[in-house]
Amino acid sequence: MAAASGSAAAKTAKSCKKYRTAKRHTGIYTYQEPPHSNSDDDIGEEKPESHDPEQIFQNIQYQKEIMSNIRCRPWPMRQKLKALRQAKEIVLKYEGRLTRTRGYQAAGAELWRKFIRLAYNFVVIFIPWEMRIKKIESHFGSGVASYFIFLRWLFGINIVLTIMTGAFVVLPELLAGAPFGSTVSKTIPKEHIASAQDLDTIWSLGGYLQYSVLFYGYYGRDRKIGKAGYRLPLAYFLVGMAVFAYSFIILLKKMAKNSRMSLASASDENYTFCWRLFCAWDYLIGNPEAAESKAAAIVNSIREAILEEQEKKKSKNLAVTISLRIIANILVLLSLAGSIYIIYFVVDRSQRLERTKKELTLWEKNEVSVVVSLITMIAPSAFELVAALEMYHPRTTLRFQLARVLVLYLGNLYSLIIALLDKVDSMSVTDSDVNNDASNSTTFLATKTLSKEENLSTVIPDVQIKQNGIVTLGESHTRGLMTSDSLTNKTVSFKTQNPQDQCWETYVGQEMLKLSIIDMIFTVASILLIDFFRGLCVRYLSDCWCWDLESKFPEYGEFKIAENVLHLVYNQGMIWMGAFFSPCLPAFNVLKLIGLMYLRSWAVLTCNVPHQQVFRASRSNNFYLAMLLFMLFLCMLPTIFAIARYKPSLSCGPFSGQEKIYDIVSETIQNDFPTWFNTVITYISSPVVVLPALLLLFMLIYYLQSIARSLKFTNNQLRMKIQTERSEDKKKVVQMAVARIQNLDGNDKRPEQESDMISQESSVRSSTPRKNGSVLNFESPVGKGARIQTISQCVPQTVPSSDVARPINSTTTTSISLTPAPSLSSVQKPRNHRITNRYPSVVHGSASELCRTKPYTPVTFKKHSEDIHSEPLFRKGIRQVNPDALEAGAPVFVGRRPYASRYFIINENESRKKSLHSTSRLQRHFRKDESSDIIELYPRNVRRYVVRTPHQMYSPHPSDDEEDEEELGKEFRNRSHRPRSLSDLRPAPRFYIGERADGHILTSKDLARVHCKSWDDGFELDLDRPPYAYRKVHLNYAEPRMKPKSKQKLEQSLTESDSISIESSSDPQNSSNDQYIQVIHSKEKYSKSGTKLSKKKSKNSVDLNMSEPNELVCSNV
Amino acid sequence: AYKRFSELLPREERENLSARVPKSQILTLPELRANPFQHRICHVFSTSEDGDDSLSFEDFLDMLSVFSDSATSDIKSHYAFRIFDFDDDGTLDRKDLEKLVNCLTGQGEESRLSTAEMEQLIQNILEESDIDKDGTINLSEFQHVISRSPDFASSFKIVL
Repeated sequence: MAAASGSAAAKTAKSCKKYRTAKRHTGIYTYQEPPHSNSDDDIGEEKPESHDPEQIFQNIQYQKEIMSNIRCRPWPMRQKLKALRQAKEIVLKYEGRLTRTRGYQAAGAELWRKFIRLAYNFVVIFIPWEMRIKKIESHFGSGVASYFIFLRWLFGINIVLTIMTGAFVVLPELLAGAPFGSTVSKTIPKEHIASAQDLDTIWSLGGYLQYSVLFYGYYGRDRKIGKAGYRLPLAYFLVGMAVFAYSFIILLKKMAKNSRMSLASASDENYTFCWRLFCAWDYLIGNPEAAESKAAAIVNSIREAILEEQEKKKSKNLAVTISLRIIANILVLLSLAGSIYIIYFVVDRSQRLERTKKELTLWEKNEVSVVVSLITMIAPSAFELVAALEMYHPRTTLRFQLARVLVLYLGNLYSLIIALLDKVDSMSVTDSDVNNDASNSTTFLATKTLSKEENLSTVIPDVQIKQNGIVTLGESHTRGLMTSDSLTNKTVSFKTQNPQDQCWETYVGQEMLKLSIIDMIFTVASILLIDFFRGLCVRYLSDCWCWDLESKFPEYGEFKIAENVLHLVYNQGMIWMGAFFSPCLPAFNVLKLIGLMYLRSWAVLTCNVPHQQVFRASRSNNFYLAMLLFMLFLCMLPTIFAIARYKPSLSCGPFSGQEKIYDIVSETIQNDFPTWFNTVITYISSPVVVLPALLLLFMLIYYLQSIARSLKFTNNQLRMKIQTERSEDKKKVVQMAVARIQNLDGNDKRPEQESDMISQESSVRSSTPRKNGSVLNFESPVGKGARIQTISQCVPQTVPSSDVARPINSTTTTSISLTPAPSLSSVQKPRNHRITNRYPSVVHGSASELCRTKPYTPVTFKKHSEDIHSEPLFRKGIRQVNPDALEAGAPVFVGRRPYASRYFIINENESRKKSLHSTSRLQRHFRKDESSDIIELYPRNVRRYVVRTPHQMYSPHPSDDEEDEEELGKEFRNRSHRPRSLSDLRPAPRFYIGERADGHILTSKDLARVHCKSWDDGFELDLDRPPYAYRKVHLNYAEPRMKPKSKQKLEQSLTESDSISIESSSDPQNSSNDQYIQVIHSKEKYSKSGTKLSKKKSKNSVDLNMSEPNELVCSNV
Repeated sequence: AYKRFSELLPREERENLSARVPKSQILTLPELRANPFQHRICHVFSTSEDGDDSLSFEDFLDMLSVFSDSATSDIKSHYAFRIFDFDDDGTLDRKDLEKLVNCLTGQGEESRLSTAEMEQLIQNILEESDIDKDGTINLSEFQHVISRSPDFASSFKIVL
């Protein structure tokens, strides 16, 4: 048992097995420990004596809740274990009693959980580099680790991309496509075969590599390949698109998840200083060096924050800095423009070189990618230097730096791709020229080879000349060969040579792959040279050097998270850009990322120190992703542009012979789908559908945006509200505390006073929908005092409620004539005043009813008057009124208008009851008893209501008054029966439903009935209309209090309702307001469910009327 | 975890489950060595009666579970509050904050904040977080502030 519960208790340990043994140990010896007292407040009081299955079930649910939440409580382990064990025992004990199957279910769930846990531990082993990342994290903090996590995530994406292209494009081509050498596009031209295996050629991705699955050109143009008729071209196109789609979706999903997680931080509320202090330390840091630099970073950031704060206050002369910044920006712009120009120039030069020289050196072949990589390496450092000139705040510097580097990368990629496309353009232009001339026709023939065959005999010289021109224009290694002696030979060589050389897609793919490779080499080199050797030098030479190398000039290399992340993003951008033209690029990237992972982690662990700049992990996560998304979008553009704009090469690749690449889709639709589908597609793609769809999208975007705006607005308002309320709460509590202290001396003589205070406090508690527990502290004093007032409990709610009602009434009605009444009520003792009081105020009420449209105001007034006269009655029963106490309480409530509406309801019911009381003098005595009964009333009420609603709900409307009044009568009887015995209370529901006849026997019952009937008749008219107002009021103020806590307490009182001990009664009294609201709330729910059942609005009023008697009881406290 | 814990114990005490590891031993853990709050952490998680801040295995587990990935940020902030509450009086007052800053900035002369800086800092912190303006930060205020922080949960953890 101990082991089982132990293993389920917490799921935080690293290894399951170890953990379980550990748990057993702890379990064994906590058994010997004496129980902790403070954890038992909600567990230890479980006394499920009842055999009611419903209650047992509730109890079990409650215990299960405890079990599931146990990890979220800040208790010591021992306490948690104990609580958990206790809860489990209870559940086990009672669950078996309910059903056997449930026990089995629980056992099964337990087993399943264990299994899941094991599986999870098992899976962790297979998460790539998990341990490595954890190790880095523990040395260098979460910032550095976030880089590696990002890298791993990118790795995952690339794996998926690789699988996609591999499974749908590469493998089918390899398996079912035409074998190597079978067609022209898959054969290495003769004159190249000699050099095809040279390292030189391979290095520039020519030779065998060029004619392999690596590149676009290799793929066959047959519409269907293999026996199954796999549509490779279609698949090629769709996979190309799917790569982008998948990347987009996964990115957006991840971003949404991240932003959901950090939703709270998204608000503009910022606690700069607090965060800097409280959240500054990264507890993961274990390396002393890292700790040192972290401490330095913290000091820096704190200093900066202070400085900033001081700077804010004074303005300074910024002329120098501004000029410096302008210079810096100019420099950056210049370097950006320079880099773009260099790239363009290099691409251009390489083209020229290819045209003029036949044998290119290694450098000449690779200069484009080398130059690009060099720029990407050097420029960021240059930017850093420039940024030092600007003297920005470090955070701004970082931001500027990142933005500049990103622009640089993008500029590089773009200028490269534009230069390439430019070349493609010129290639295709000449190509089409040749075609036109060669075929002597204006129409494009399906395949170039075909056209050549036809015209071979007639226009060979012409073609020959043209061909030469083409070759010089396009990239060709064989210009010399072209001018060979034999005419047929030439044409043959031309026929094989020309289409292959002009496969621009392959060319682009080659360039991208080359770039990627060179980039990798440079990265490795820079890590080795800059970080590793520097680290080595610094470490081993510092002993014999004239200054301290570790702290002065060379230092250790810093791990620049931001730059490295940007580099990753750039790398991924290259992949996206080239993936369409070179299907194996993602696969290559996977390899690259693996290598990078190991190299980087090794480098970080051996020779790097964390960046001084604080680059926050969690926030930056989304920042990385945003950059990646930006990159993806921008990289997609050129590819899409190329796909849409350029004509595919004529004799290589899957789309050869088509006007545009995307024609494959429409072609497939036309040929291979049923005609109706075709027509549907035509309709959908026609402007008739597209335009409205676009409009709809725009509207949707606008709508969502406006909603977001309004939500933000509400958010702000709510925050303001919370703030003001919190401060008000605090003030009130302080005031009350002061008042209480003043009253403490007269404590013994005036218990009502004390209870007054309690009720005030509790009402404050209940009326403030607060989230923090600041006011909760005041529970304990209340609890202390509450023991004394168990007898006089009925006072509190009535008195303060009238207190509350008073200022509110006067303010809402704005009739000054009412104010005398409250003052009278507070001072009044004599009975004769009562009658005089009542009538005037009733008159006022009716008068105000005329002028005010709010339906519930008259109710309040009436009740108010009733309140007034019932108060003295009651006071007479116990003691003289204490004006001081009332006065002390009243001012506190003056500002409390928002919560007044709830008191209206209480009071209103109260009034009705009291009217009855006043008519039937009998009840006066029983009030004393009521006080002690209050606690029991709650649970009974709730339960009774549950039981009763079914038949009440379907009662017709006319009888509704009757019902109501019966309820009142019952309430009466109930009360009058109270003296009999307290144990009667439990069976109470049954007892007074069946005992209606019995009630008639009671003295003066008839009188009361008559009276209350007439009262109700007048009343119901009002009540039937405003149910909505009531409901709203209820919901508004009851809902915030719907906390699990109050629920629990309700449960407790349910189970304990029989035992009336001082202890138990004082505890619920503290929570009496919670319960009270709970009652209202549950009632609301019932009434709501009632409306759902009947689906008639009239039912609302019925339910409400029915529920009022309940409130009678509730409002007693 | 148990292995790591028992490594800290002398051999003859390995079998004794209620054995406590003295503070000096705990602090040799690499995960805690560099932490400026090491003493506070030991103190908060220790259940030892005689106040020597030694940890039993249970306390040790407790600490790890608080600092683990799966602990909720509520629980994390609760313990963070206790760690920062240097005088254990349930609120963070000016003295606590001062000590906290000193812990963070380390002992070096040049890294220490001057008195004026400290004043300014504490003033700003209280302005930001002290909602009820009573001059101290209580738990709920602290949790409120922490819950807004984007990276508290990711940095308040220890990996063995």
